Amino acid sequence: MSEPEPAAASPLADVSRAELFASFLKMGLLGFGGVLPWARRILVDERRWLTDREFAELIGLCQVLPGPNVVNLSVIIGARTHGPIGSLIAIGGILFVPVGVMLLIATFYASVASEPLARNAIAGASAAAAGLILGTGVRLLRHSRPPLRGLATGGAALVAVGVLQLPLLWVLVALIVVGVAAEWLASR
Amino acid sequence: MSASAQLLSEIAVRFAALSFIAVGGIMSILPEIHRVVVDVEGWMTSAQFAELFALAQVAPGPNAMIVALVGWKVAGVAGALVATIAACGPSSVVCYIAWHWADRLRQSKMRAVLQRALAPIAIGLILASGYTLALAADRSPGAFAFTLVAAAALAWTRVNPVWVLLVAAGAGMAGLA
Repeated sequence: MSEPEPAAASPLADVSRAELFASFLKMGLLGFGGVLPWARRILVDERRWLTDREFAELIGLCQVLPGPNVVNLSVIIGARTHGPIGSLIAIGGILFVPVGVMLLIATFYASVASEPLARNAIAGASAAAAGLILGTGVRLLRHSRPPLRGLATGGAALVAVGVLQLPLLWVLVALIVVGVAAEWLASR
Repeated sequence: MSASAQLLSEIAVRFAALSFIAVGGIMSILPEIHRVVVDVEGWMTSAQFAELFALAQVAPGPNAMIVALVGWKVAGVAGALVATIAACGPSSVVCYIAWHWADRLRQSKMRAVLQRALAPIAIGLILASGYTLALAADRSPGAFAFTLVAAAALAWTRVNPVWVLLVAAGAGMAGLA
């Protein structure tokens, strides 16, 4: 049993800039195939800056907002420790290693891309990478089990953007209006 | 304006615009990135886009790194940095502002409604991304089988995605793709 903590005692208040940068650097460094599981492990289990519940709430907020979820997470955790500067430090930390590694990989790729063996390897990996994204979508669908109205807006998004290749902005505007109206009516 | 400065500013404008509508993250806007860089701008072929995406998946870090690779392909290291900053900047500013009133909205009904309405749309967009990438990558029945197996592995097991990619690359080298 833990005592309820007073709001002012949030551990985030005492985080130094160096600690902030180091933590997000580590997330970016370790995040093979997605950063989110590492973000939870580091922020909740290792540093104890957030509880599981706070983390889940923050992720929910980050998903509603536009932009990469882990970059949004960096913005908010950074802001809670050192304001706008903190946000920049956290974003820099989480993107620093990945961008550097990406440039190394890209340079290597450019130098071997014409080799038949490399071409075959890349063909295999890119086919599987497409499957990974489809599988992620199926997994999310299985776990969230949206009601019929959600299946309708989600299915419409898939067909309009994937199959018909319509511009995303207008599809999003239409689907968000319809989706919010349907949820609002259903919650009355 | 020099040709390369012109190209960099085009990259900046394109990705900054996408940043505002990346609801659910970068995976949601992959079809739109594909549409812009392949169909509208003609910066690369559909197959090259699928290859870059596979590279982005093998490397560590956020999925958003596909944006850096696309920038690199179009305009080198400067392109990578400009694309990354443009794709993350506007959404980060929106996030910073939103966070200031998020606490007030925590209990509000509208936030719950918005969250429930957006979740299935984001899933639909992720599936659209997978569909777009599969169309670009699967040029043989073997490759199509790779896509199906990888999708099933991610959907129904807890296997690390990096292993799936490495096995697929190895099988590709063996001429199976």
